[in-house]
Amino acid sequence: MFADGLFIVFATLAVLGAVGLVLFRHPMNGAMSFVVTLISLAGLYALLSAKLIFALQLIVYAGAIMSLIVFIIMFLNIQPDDLPQEEMKLFYVLVSAIVVCPIGLLLAKIVKSLPVHSTAIMGNKFGGVKEVGLLLFRDWLIPFEIVSILLLVSLVGAVILAGKRGTTK
Amino acid sequence: MTNDLMLLMPLIIVGAGAILLMVASTCEKLTHELAAYGSAGIFAVAFLVQLSFCIAGNVAPYTEAFNGVLVASNFSKAAGLIILACGFFTSLSSQAYFKRNNFCSPEYYSLAAFAASGMLLLTMAQELITVFIALEIMSLAIYVLVGYDRKSVISTEAVLKYLMLGAFAGAFFVMGSAFVYGAAGSTKFVKIGQYLAAHGMLHSLAMIGGAFFIMVAFLFKAAAFPFHAWVIDVYDGAAVPVTGYMATALKTAIFAVFANFLVIDGALQQQWITFLFWISVLTMFVGNLIAIGQQSLKRMLAASGIVHSGYLLIALVAIGSKNFSGSVIAFYLAAYAAGTLGIFTALSYLGGSGEARKTFDDFKGLAKARPFSAAAISIFLLSMAGIPPTAGFMGKFYIITSAINAGEITLAVLGIVSSIISMWYYLRLIIAMYFHEAEEQFDEPAISSWAPACTFVLVLCVFAISLYPITV
Repeated sequence: MFADGLFIVFATLAVLGAVGLVLFRHPMNGAMSFVVTLISLAGLYALLSAKLIFALQLIVYAGAIMSLIVFIIMFLNIQPDDLPQEEMKLFYVLVSAIVVCPIGLLLAKIVKSLPVHSTAIMGNKFGGVKEVGLLLFRDWLIPFEIVSILLLVSLVGAVILAGKRGTTK
Repeated sequence: MTNDLMLLMPLIIVGAGAILLMVASTCEKLTHELAAYGSAGIFAVAFLVQLSFCIAGNVAPYTEAFNGVLVASNFSKAAGLIILACGFFTSLSSQAYFKRNNFCSPEYYSLAAFAASGMLLLTMAQELITVFIALEIMSLAIYVLVGYDRKSVISTEAVLKYLMLGAFAGAFFVMGSAFVYGAAGSTKFVKIGQYLAAHGMLHSLAMIGGAFFIMVAFLFKAAAFPFHAWVIDVYDGAAVPVTGYMATALKTAIFAVFANFLVIDGALQQQWITFLFWISVLTMFVGNLIAIGQQSLKRMLAASGIVHSGYLLIALVAIGSKNFSGSVIAFYLAAYAAGTLGIFTALSYLGGSGEARKTFDDFKGLAKARPFSAAAISIFLLSMAGIPPTAGFMGKFYIITSAINAGEITLAVLGIVSSIISMWYYLRLIIAMYFHEAEEQFDEPAISSWAPACTFVLVLCVFAISLYPITV
């Protein structure tokens, strides 16, 4: 029962963080609210006995990637005057919430129809580094390897779109 | 039978070539022209290798190590050939285009090759996570190519729109995959097929919702009806060769993976057949409606790309999951790719600097100034409109025959009606080129560019593809 309570707490926090990310006016507040989501997700992973993913989520996402995002926002030095005027924001958010409501209901129905998962701790070293590594390199070799191409493409793309470009040779 | 390494060789060549071009582009000596020839060479070699092997049925290379994630078949081979040919012609037409437009760097060609490697993966992927990663490799490279001209406002607008909406489509795909996994317990197409055969489609709500979200993502990328709005602006904002690449190679990859997904099991396609029926009808007619109103040539071609997606959806409705060969889809894609790439290749050397020449009126009197180019463009337009003896006609003929064979008479008739409506905007350009006097001088073609030669080759392709026999 304690685990079920934790699940409800983490799930609510994750959704609230995401809502905050959308609604906050200043990017820094948005980023901070995103941290809440990422940490609650880590909690959810822990409830599923995914030890390694839990640690990676905290270290990589809530730690490294978030600090990068926060750095960039500080780097841009955004003042309240720089932000766009969004007078109709609440109206738009409400209208789009109503529009996507049917999809939300469908999603809720689908999630309800999924088999119940127990939050009991899985034995047998489930979710450990060795087990995840074996799974990655045995069953998921191709997806794991092609992710490297994906990262390379995004790296080159970011440099081209944002980097300094010399005149055409 | 060829060995497993050969099946993956085109993918390896394109991927390694992309990395090589990326590394080489740091070198000062590599001009973007050299990079263009380099990437054209990579695509040509990969094309020949892809052509050289023959496959019987479905072959999963390296089943032990890759766990059956990639599967090669004659359909994936044909789709790969179209993609590699598109890459080849795009490289050479870009070279002509960048003689007049000054925003190229050698990385452009590296990204085009990366996109092609993502597309080749898509045609072979038989597992949802691999499909997602391949889809993102392709999309990310294309996003950057769309926004390559950073000084142009419409190009920036195009990349922002495409990136935002594409991210939504990607999110839908991931959510759909998660639901399918929840229902079937696996993301592999084979396992999902076994689940569907055992339980049927309607057994679990998660399966229905998952398949729905995955299809939404594919329909978005293929620019089908409710998700077509981005196409016009994105195609308009991208550079001409990039638009040609997106319209042909990207569409080929998406329809290949869409067909592979639908034929997982007969139950999957049967359940969605009414849905796909309406989507394909609406896609054809809405596309036509948009295309008729356009003044700009690129926007018209973008809208006609929506219409052609509609025809391909007819083919998807008509495919049978038993003995799936995909020959009709591959044939139509090849025919459409030859025509569309031809027009975009011609536009890339006729468009002038900064793409000054873009509306129908700008091409008035082209037949007098450039008789050969005008004739080539007319042939491409006639092929897209579906006039015999071009490849476009045969493609439409096969699609409509397969629809009739599958008992979809209404869809076949609507396809013919839509194809007649589409004559309006294709013939409009021919009339402008042939029956009006030129208002201004056309520029001299850039020296030492291969684009006119490519146009000529593509004209030959339009006729040659129509002679290739397939069984419906």
